[in-house]
Amino acid sequence: MKSMKKVLVLMLSLLLVVGMFGCSKDNDGSGKSTDGIDDSTNVKIGVLVADATGAEALAFRSYYENYIQKQYNVTFMYSDELADAAAEASAIDNFIANNCKAIISFASADRPAQIRKCAENKVYYAVATGTLSDEEYKEFKDNEYYVGAIGPDLYTEYLAGYNMAKYYLDQGKTKFAVFGGATPYYVDMHIYRTAGILVALCEAGGGNYNGASDMGSMIGTIYGMNCQLTPAVIGSVELVSYIGGYDFDDAWFGKLAEAANNPSVEVLLAVGSGLDTFAAFKKPNQFLGTVDAYTADAVKAMEAGTLNYLAGKFSASIGPIFMATLSAVQGKPIRTANGEALALSQGYWVATSADEAKNFYAVDSSTTDPAYTRAMLDTLFGASYDDFAKFVGAFSFEEIQNLKK
Amino acid sequence: MTKGKRLAGTIIIPVLVLIITNVICMSRGVTMFENSLNWLTFARAVANVSLVTFALSINLNSGRFDFSVGSIALLSSVFSATLAVNHELSPVVMLALSLLFGMLLGLASGLVYVTVKLPPMIVSLAVALFYEGMAYHFTKGHGVSFINNRELLDFASIPNYLIIIAVALIFMIIVFDHTTFGYEYKALQSGQKVSVNIGINEKKNAVICYAIAGLLMGAQGFVSSTTTGSIQMALNFGSIGPMFMAFLPMFIGGYIGRFSNDKLGYLLGAVSTSLISLLYVRLDVNSSVQQVVSALLLVGFLIFLNNENRIKNLFRKH
Repeated sequence: MKSMKKVLVLMLSLLLVVGMFGCSKDNDGSGKSTDGIDDSTNVKIGVLVADATGAEALAFRSYYENYIQKQYNVTFMYSDELADAAAEASAIDNFIANNCKAIISFASADRPAQIRKCAENKVYYAVATGTLSDEEYKEFKDNEYYVGAIGPDLYTEYLAGYNMAKYYLDQGKTKFAVFGGATPYYVDMHIYRTAGILVALCEAGGGNYNGASDMGSMIGTIYGMNCQLTPAVIGSVELVSYIGGYDFDDAWFGKLAEAANNPSVEVLLAVGSGLDTFAAFKKPNQFLGTVDAYTADAVKAMEAGTLNYLAGKFSASIGPIFMATLSAVQGKPIRTANGEALALSQGYWVATSADEAKNFYAVDSSTTDPAYTRAMLDTLFGASYDDFAKFVGAFSFEEIQNLKK
Repeated sequence: MTKGKRLAGTIIIPVLVLIITNVICMSRGVTMFENSLNWLTFARAVANVSLVTFALSINLNSGRFDFSVGSIALLSSVFSATLAVNHELSPVVMLALSLLFGMLLGLASGLVYVTVKLPPMIVSLAVALFYEGMAYHFTKGHGVSFINNRELLDFASIPNYLIIIAVALIFMIIVFDHTTFGYEYKALQSGQKVSVNIGINEKKNAVICYAIAGLLMGAQGFVSSTTTGSIQMALNFGSIGPMFMAFLPMFIGGYIGRFSNDKLGYLLGAVSTSLISLLYVRLDVNSSVQQVVSALLLVGFLIFLNNENRIKNLFRKH
């Protein structure tokens, strides 16, 4: 009887041990996953945001709070909407006081100051959906607390505008109205997208815009015009109307309406917020293209024919920078062979039909199976720079679906 | 004052603005009112500006600076647009809901003011933040979009704007010039202590003022949202902006009020500033220049008001 008891206890113990191994796929009991991620200690990460209400900003936040935070032992602390460098500095102080180990920044009023402040306080810092200028990167690339930046670089932004205009130019459209978004406020991202549109018009029309016809000269021309652009005939095509800024006053609404109601305008292009600007004024025979986010409203607009071209960042695109930050915090920084910080570019998902937009949105808005899942991101923990760069570089919808498989 | 002088005093500013803006346009080879769209832009601007001016003037004339008017327009239109989109309501029903929500939000703002007894400026700032936060929370930050709802967007027409402007003006004149509430409002303006001593309830009067201002901002929120088919969220006092468009027409209205009804003055002030807005549109003036010109016009008009007698004497001597 006694020996029977011993055998039974031994069998049960064995069963328990086997069961534990079988059930905990990633965890070895020490709080560390098989990939080496330490899930036993909560990591607080501060997130600096300059925009708390835009569709894109909300989608990014949803990915971090409704997916990443539930998958990893991390807590995201979001700042208020930060209007300037002083507000950014104050938010960083607040994060440090709250024991944040890292800061991921969507705010760009003064990035060098943000990095310096974080480095002084031994807090890791990363840029999401953006890049540093060449000069800034040179200054901070060797700083151990600067994780890096992943997002569309300025050339990608330029291409977003260029490809959008070219899509319609290839269809034989010649008369355009353009909403330049934050171009008058010297926002590089919008300036480069606008430049892309103008260069595409120059190439198709065989002319130039105030003497410029390629990327470099167009950027120079836009700055030379103090970012206040004007309509122009460009060879055989025409920029019939141009509106910039987010004034939301009666004159601004009037200018948008005038642009859309000009009988010669065939295509309305927006470098941002096309649905909130041109959509209500668009005529049925006109086409509307915009760089914006994948939202339920955007899908509906594409189904209704209100919107015809949408280039958008996908919300999970900020997954890799999170993993690079977590890796750094947990002692496995991802650096180049020379020990430099990450500087990787990502592009847009482009939908030209309602079905495409619907597919993109379904994946983009999922909080259970987003574009980048935990299983995919875990492969990046402590990865080599080359593997990391390869993963980030495969950003198209199809490539990501293949990666998932 | 003779009828002719009163008429001249009433119309001189809008007529001058009309002439000057037209001359500027003509000098650039542009026709100010070239097509129906220009009239639509003008009518929409008059509706927007006059509603905000009426709303702001109600409390400001009684010494209550109200920063919450923009947030009331935001939140009331968020509620009404959400209901209209979800239940496929008509524009008229959406307008009625906007008015109702605007009035209730204004009423709540007024009740907070008379209850906490803090300076109105501080109370209105708190209310503005609270309503902005509510709108953000209610829409989960996404705002409301009805760009695919043509019925709601088609409300934006000249006759509809004219009806809103006319109804608002008549409502203001009746309520403030032909009711007991209006008489008490004026009495409190001219001497609060005496008015209270003769039995006027200043708290009740203030609460009604806030409710009426809210009602008007409900209408403004509706006009604004049906222009673009989307309502953008505003945080950290982002809703205060619309208030500033009312200052110049309010001062112009105050001036015209000496010769005529001050409510008509506010409307004519709105007409004047809307002509300037249309000028910006027709000449494609960029926003930084617009801001400088608008600021100069406001400061210039205030300098004129403060030095009116000196200026008149200057002309009389010569």
